[in-house]
Amino acid sequence: MKKIYLHPIPIRLWHWINAAGFIILIVTAIQIRYGNIVNLFSFETAVDIHSWTGFILIGNYFIWLFYYLLTGKIKIYIPPIHHPVEFFKKSIRQAKFYGYGILIGDSNPHHSTPDNKFNPMQQISYLMIMVLLIPVQIITGLLLWDPKLFSAIVNPVGIQIVDIIHVLLWIFFSAFIVVHFYLATLGHTTFAHIKAMFTGYEEEEEHEHSH
Amino acid sequence: MFRFYGGQVVKKGTYWNLSSGESIELEHEKIRAGNRQVRDLKVPTTGIFILGPISGLLSICLLPLISLLIGLMLLTRTAAASSEEAQMCLGCHSDKNLTKQLDNKEVLSLFINGNEFANSIHNAIGCAGCHMDISMENHPQIKKVKSKKEYSSDASKVCTMCHPDEQLRKKPIHSSLMTKATCVECHGSHSISRMAAQKAGVKENQYCLTCHRSKLSMTMKNRESLSAFVDESALRSSVHGNLQCSDCHSGFSKTGHPVKIFSSRRDYSIVTSDICRKCHTDAATKYEGSIHYSVLKGGDLKAPACTDCHGGHSVARATKDKTLGLISCNKCHGGMKSSYEASIHYTARIKGVENAPVCSSCHNAHDVKVTAMTMKIKDACLKCHKDAEKIHKKWLSNPPFKLASFAGLHFDAVACAACHSTDAGRGIYLGLYDRKTGKSFPEEDVLKLLETESPGLMGKMDTNSDGSIDAREIWNLFKQLYKKGATTTFIGRMDVRKGAESHQIAGKAKAVRECEKCHRPDSEFFKDVFIVISKADGRPTLFDAKKEALNSFFSILPVSKFYALGSTNVKLLDILFIIAVLGGIAVPIGHVTLRIITSPLRSLRRMGKGGKK
Repeated sequence: MKKIYLHPIPIRLWHWINAAGFIILIVTAIQIRYGNIVNLFSFETAVDIHSWTGFILIGNYFIWLFYYLLTGKIKIYIPPIHHPVEFFKKSIRQAKFYGYGILIGDSNPHHSTPDNKFNPMQQISYLMIMVLLIPVQIITGLLLWDPKLFSAIVNPVGIQIVDIIHVLLWIFFSAFIVVHFYLATLGHTTFAHIKAMFTGYEEEEEHEHSH
Repeated sequence: MFRFYGGQVVKKGTYWNLSSGESIELEHEKIRAGNRQVRDLKVPTTGIFILGPISGLLSICLLPLISLLIGLMLLTRTAAASSEEAQMCLGCHSDKNLTKQLDNKEVLSLFINGNEFANSIHNAIGCAGCHMDISMENHPQIKKVKSKKEYSSDASKVCTMCHPDEQLRKKPIHSSLMTKATCVECHGSHSISRMAAQKAGVKENQYCLTCHRSKLSMTMKNRESLSAFVDESALRSSVHGNLQCSDCHSGFSKTGHPVKIFSSRRDYSIVTSDICRKCHTDAATKYEGSIHYSVLKGGDLKAPACTDCHGGHSVARATKDKTLGLISCNKCHGGMKSSYEASIHYTARIKGVENAPVCSSCHNAHDVKVTAMTMKIKDACLKCHKDAEKIHKKWLSNPPFKLASFAGLHFDAVACAACHSTDAGRGIYLGLYDRKTGKSFPEEDVLKLLETESPGLMGKMDTNSDGSIDAREIWNLFKQLYKKGATTTFIGRMDVRKGAESHQIAGKAKAVRECEKCHRPDSEFFKDVFIVISKADGRPTLFDAKKEALNSFFSILPVSKFYALGSTNVKLLDILFIIAVLGGIAVPIGHVTLRIITSPLRSLRRMGKGGKK
């Protein structure tokens, strides 16, 4: 087994805070939205937790952003736009692996390195999430947190529209986090990727790497 | 020299007896027959012929003078007789306690002020001049009089003997008054002086009150009767006590009294209220911007004008207790009284709190606006409760910061009374606004664009005719208006269901504070939904709407500016959430299932690569 240091401390910290935060936000959102059928805690408590967590995740987002911008490692999120065909082919190959190859015992076509951490599917989806969806969720969340404070933006757009965007992304993240957790179990062992996210080191079988 | 008496020695000549007019010719000196009572005048016969015509001529020329002298002599004699008669009458009638009980039990004073009567113009004709059935020899003791009114009426009939109707009708005010009032009501009875003297002797107000302190009335075109009585003491103690009548009633004076005719009592109030503008221009301008004026102008004559609140002649001074701002409103808005009296505001007022609000404190006195479905009343609350946002943000905040804007957001969307009026019914009111200007989109414009009249508006909106507007119908209205160039939006607001309920403000301990009261999909406060389309003057028309109008995909755009966490959830998104979560769960389940099913394949492959056999 070869150990590759894939996840530096700031990223591991950011990831687990983000993970916990996402779950808390999703659950409190359920309580806020479906207070008539869910009774985990009061509406007021749910809103308080949701708002506190939201602000923590805003700060957390900037840990991620500053780390990757300052280290220049942000490029791991950026698909090779100068080789679009090759990137497309790699994406198909990766999808094919999850949909078919993994079932028949093919090895993962992507081998993570610190400079090439994500497979093409991860790369495109994480780029969208980190650069577009989370910022949009942060902004809409802030607008809804105090619509009057941000009335200059909320009023022209319409608060219901802002809410719908926020809720649509909540729906997406709710589904995403389930799939993300499942995909995290698809390492060479069920907990390999999850363990790596704690230790920082991803284990890779030597013979697979030699192929 | 020319006069001679009986018994006197007289000379020869012609003597004229002054008593009998006989002439006696004496041919020689002798003693005149008779005593000293016999008087003769010695005039030559020729002298008679000369003096006769001269004295006749003088008599003709001096006849008017002679007549006047004779008349004066007679009048003096009559006056003397009258004076004598008056003194006799006053013997009894100068007693201030002399009264007579009339048939209707009214007590009529029979007292006559002797001095006043002596100075009156009728002093000369004496008592019997008017009281013709009474003389020094005859005073009927039993004279049945039903009432003071009848007495006054009968007494006035006597006046017409000298002052006939034809003479009185020459003056317009007399002509109009003759059927309304008796002579004595204006002119008095025993102290009547010449009008010229009366006018000169009194100030204008007193002159007017000569008649108007009586129970006068005027008849309107619609036969309504309006009292023209002026309560002198109320006038004096009013804020206008120092004004002259003509300051307000222009055109009227001691010398002129135009006769004005009004359609109705209401018409009179409205027209005369315009008088106030002469001095109170600010208040009048504010009033003209009020809903009261707008309604009045719209033809509803029940709407108040100045005098309806302030009164006519008893305009009170503004007082600290602001009673006027309560009592005058209750005349029309009596339905609000009981709810106001159930409020903490009224309790404070009863306890003597100086700034405890009355109606006008919140609704203003003159520029009264429509408050239903508006933010105006919130502003009124904040006039006194200046630190309301600061106080509310202590508990109504969204962590991690306590910002006044978050409380302010609630103030914008929720009427103060919706939380502070105990037991009030609440509803959601979706007002139609111009999206560009942010101002209310007036009903008049909606009617014009939809080519309908006010009664047909519901029919235009409620296309399925179920009596309630649903989300699709809101969308259709929004779309129709948009196609005709009007960009509109519905802005929601929570308010109490009945206007009266908004007045029964309770203490803060009883106010709604629990977030769940509103922020739940099954909130009671969000069950009743209304579409509000207000007229240009602010008066709202409410149309029933369905609750689902707040949760439908169709209302996303038209109602894009209204949102309440947990209560205006778009149902479609809930369905999407369920699909997404189930889809998210289905992915690992499906994938794991496939992996289980295909595990033999992987085992075989591993064996083929030198794995375990």
